[in-house]
Amino acid sequence: MYGNIIDIKKFAIHDGPGIRSTVFLKGCPLSCIWCHNPEGIDSKINLWYFEKKCIGCHRCVAACKNSALSIGSASPHIVIDREKCINEGNCVEACPTAALCFDGKRVSQREVIDVLLEDKPFYDKSGGGITISGGDPLFQHEFALGILMECKKHSIHTAIETCMYAKKEIFEKFFDYVDLFIVDLKVFNSANHKKYTGVENELIKSNFEFLASKKENILVRIPLVPGITATKENIGEIASFVYEVNNKIPIELMNYNPLGENKYRLMGKANELLKGIKPLPEPELDALYQIISDKGVKIAREKKVKQ
Amino acid sequence: MANYIEEISKLQISHRISLLKERMLSEPRFLSLEQALLITQCYKENENLPRILRRAKSLSLALNKIEIRIDPLELIVGNRTPGVRAGVVSPEAGISWIDREIETLHERPQDQFNVRKEDIEEFRKTILPYWKGKSLEDAVKDRLGAEISAIGKVVKINQTDHAQGHICPNTQKWLAIGPAGLKKEAEEKLKMASDDKKVFYESVIIVLSAAQDFMRRYSKLAKKMLVEVSDGRLRENLIEIERICAKLADNPPETFREAVQSLWFLFVILQMESNASSFSPGRADQYLYPYFKRDIESGKLDLSGALEIIEALWLKFNQIVYLRNSNSAKYFAGFPIGFNIACGGQTQDGRDASNELSFLFLKAQEHLLLPQPNLSARLFKGSSSEFVDQCSRVIGMGSGMPQIFNDESIIPALINQGISKEDATNYAIVGCVELTTHGNNLGWSDAAMFNLVKVLELTLNNGICLQTGVQMGLQTGYLTDYKSYEDLEEAYKKQLDHFIDRMIAVCDAVDRMHAEFLPTPFLSSVIDDCLEKGIDVTAGGAHYNLSGIQAIQVANIADSLAVIKKLVYDEGTLKAEELLKALQTNYEGSEELRQYLINKVPKYGNDVAWVDNIGAKWIEYFAEKLKDYRNARGGPYHTGLYTVSAHIPMGHNVGASPDGRLSRDPLADGGMSAMYGRDRNGPTALLKSVSRINSMYGSNGTLLNMKFLPDFFKTEEGIKKFSSLLMTFVDLRINHVQFNVVRREDLLKAKQKPEQYRGLTVRVAGYTAYFTELASDLQDEIIERTSYGDI
Repeated sequence: MYGNIIDIKKFAIHDGPGIRSTVFLKGCPLSCIWCHNPEGIDSKINLWYFEKKCIGCHRCVAACKNSALSIGSASPHIVIDREKCINEGNCVEACPTAALCFDGKRVSQREVIDVLLEDKPFYDKSGGGITISGGDPLFQHEFALGILMECKKHSIHTAIETCMYAKKEIFEKFFDYVDLFIVDLKVFNSANHKKYTGVENELIKSNFEFLASKKENILVRIPLVPGITATKENIGEIASFVYEVNNKIPIELMNYNPLGENKYRLMGKANELLKGIKPLPEPELDALYQIISDKGVKIAREKKVKQ
Repeated sequence: MANYIEEISKLQISHRISLLKERMLSEPRFLSLEQALLITQCYKENENLPRILRRAKSLSLALNKIEIRIDPLELIVGNRTPGVRAGVVSPEAGISWIDREIETLHERPQDQFNVRKEDIEEFRKTILPYWKGKSLEDAVKDRLGAEISAIGKVVKINQTDHAQGHICPNTQKWLAIGPAGLKKEAEEKLKMASDDKKVFYESVIIVLSAAQDFMRRYSKLAKKMLVEVSDGRLRENLIEIERICAKLADNPPETFREAVQSLWFLFVILQMESNASSFSPGRADQYLYPYFKRDIESGKLDLSGALEIIEALWLKFNQIVYLRNSNSAKYFAGFPIGFNIACGGQTQDGRDASNELSFLFLKAQEHLLLPQPNLSARLFKGSSSEFVDQCSRVIGMGSGMPQIFNDESIIPALINQGISKEDATNYAIVGCVELTTHGNNLGWSDAAMFNLVKVLELTLNNGICLQTGVQMGLQTGYLTDYKSYEDLEEAYKKQLDHFIDRMIAVCDAVDRMHAEFLPTPFLSSVIDDCLEKGIDVTAGGAHYNLSGIQAIQVANIADSLAVIKKLVYDEGTLKAEELLKALQTNYEGSEELRQYLINKVPKYGNDVAWVDNIGAKWIEYFAEKLKDYRNARGGPYHTGLYTVSAHIPMGHNVGASPDGRLSRDPLADGGMSAMYGRDRNGPTALLKSVSRINSMYGSNGTLLNMKFLPDFFKTEEGIKKFSSLLMTFVDLRINHVQFNVVRREDLLKAKQKPEQYRGLTVRVAGYTAYFTELASDLQDEIIERTSYGDI
């Protein structure tokens, strides 16, 4: 079976315990306006252009059969007409520096599994394993599930990072093959959730309750976006909800990551919203964690080394 | 165990040590001719004596005459010059280069020394005229110069202008019986010695007596200084120095401080006899332990007192530096002297050998963050997690130390070279990463560096140098003449055999000339079997006699041959003519092809088995070929895989290579590393690739550099994950790894020279980016954040 992935990152150290490899699948039912893996939203594979790598040989211009590429006025760089581009890939093939490349690739389950198995010695030594992220692993669910089942055959610890926006029957299929569920709760108010992610969150909440009733190893993550998710009110509401569902489930706050903006540029897009947003300073982060603790919910936060 | 680890972790640096460190670093570095003048005087007066006696008498004269100094604050005393970090000249080894460079020493790009004007005059008037044609350097040039230069772009022959270092003496024995005990042994032997051996024993006795004199001089100086010093604590210290130095002249040490002082005298005198790099203390946490334990148990010493003595010794290791010629300074930048200490590892019965001293050594490194000693940690499957975690923490502080050595692969590799299991288990490190046994081995680990990439160049171009057009190698044909990849391989073998043969002949000759010009009776007294056999260590007196040749550089060989194999022979998409022409013209007008070769063919370091295996194959070929030879002292030649900083000058000698590297550009760094920026799959993939190079073939030592960001070490989880990476490295049976923890300056450089930092990743929660692929304003932001350590 084939699927579309963004990439497989080895030595992933923030996606669960130990040293891991993380498969980033393409396709997500949400379209969060702050998304820092925007290439994960579309399940199709699209063209990326690394301007800095381009040496201006213009082989790509000749290679494109759809005349989607032209020499820009600020030569040596090229201009991509995204309307005309059908992601055929002749330009990618022709580009000697890999300045033109795809934001993902179509691969078989076997290929993914083979790559994941390469780092087994590291998983075994570190108590690590593999994580499926994205996009969202529930989007190409059959593809994801096949990988997880195969990994379990090799006794590899498995985790998924999901927004839980999927049919309950589909979500449930994962329960027997996942050792750790890293689940996102982003915005508690459903209307606001729709405003910022494109969908309402009733399904997410009910799936979370369902998961908590069946499974134990769950970690809730809240992506912090200043002014949107990183408000005292929103964090408090999510913490109360988690407490009611199961007060043993810990919450981790994911500080805002400013690097996502670069990817919009590679895709030939702009994200005005993200301009100038900075990660939360430590004291504000402390205050939000305090709110969670005060609600009686465990916090998951890495312990600083004493200097 | 947990008790002392916790206690050691809380120890602070003492005021005394901070002050001594500050004084040492602020003192300017000078060239020192004092010992050179004494040697010259002695040689002049004894011209009819055998060289070994002349050497012994000159060392004796120096030990009795050179100006000595004591800082009343220092706990451990002794140096070979009154000033610290002086550049010492050894006329009998080689001074022609000093004549050429003495005026520029203060301004050369690497490793500068101040030179007093009167010293330049004295050098030209007294030293230079006497030694013309008499030194090792001049004799090597005279006898071997033409051949050394003919093969110079392929082989860098070392040890041609200085005495032998890179040796780990039997410090344990020195501590057990001291110079007096060793002298007694030599006197006994002398009584029964045949006539041809007498002069060796006489020389040994002369230098050991002088060693005793040297210690007594420090005792007397301390006593003399009491007249001027009134501060109570300083007086107390001087009285103790007076007592200890006098005692050590005639008796072995008993306390920990006495043992450390005795150890330091040994290394100062070794450096005075042979002005060379790297005499290694080796496993000091093992052989110093009985002294430490006795003092701790009797209540004479506590952990903080022990740490202060260790740090006093650590400072001493930084007071002796090695003056190299400007060319050599390029290869070995930063005057590395290589007092290498190996802590941890295992005992003879396979238990974890780490103890309080191992942790105190790591603590001292954490406090001082100085270049010496070169601190190494030995790991094996049974290393305690506390020890591994402590190594991780200190690595995270960014001094690049401790570097990590792997018992699991090194011990079998040494056994494979004919070393006993007991000696292999007790291995230590000399210089940077070279492997040795303890106290019984002249490993000659830097005999030569062999440029595999240059030989590939010659193989592709009918033996003709791409840079000069000179016919350097055999006429085996051009790339265009080889009908198959196998034909190319056969030609490469012929060229390799040819140069290996020529190299070995020169190495043997240089080796013999050391015995002729630079016998070392003092060193011989602390290397097992020399006293027994009555043979100087340079003449083959040691129990083990190895020679190490470095094979340079696996990454460029794998990457270059992968391009040829895949594109020219397997797929036929690149014409041999086109590639050859691109190489001959240094890719002029072929930038697109060059980019294609760099970006579209898999590279060593990314866990791509077929590419890595090409590198493995040629290292195997080289190492197996060396087995055909024995060195001048009767021992085997074996292979090392490290360059230190020689990848830059060695790359300078190589024309354009098929991996897309331009003529004169550096080769891959380190030894086992991937070509910079071409390992794109992270540290686990790199380690997997490196593990495909059979560690058995790196028995002389290997070097792998890896870069990490400081943020990795900021959380307890990060430390644990790093430790598990280290333990996987142990399982993968890679001999060595060292870590650069990348700081802000590195990021600034990465921004300016992205091509050299392609693999540098920036990790933030949940997301990783290649630093060089980020837009410059985002790079700036990261740099800004890094300066606050938030990344």
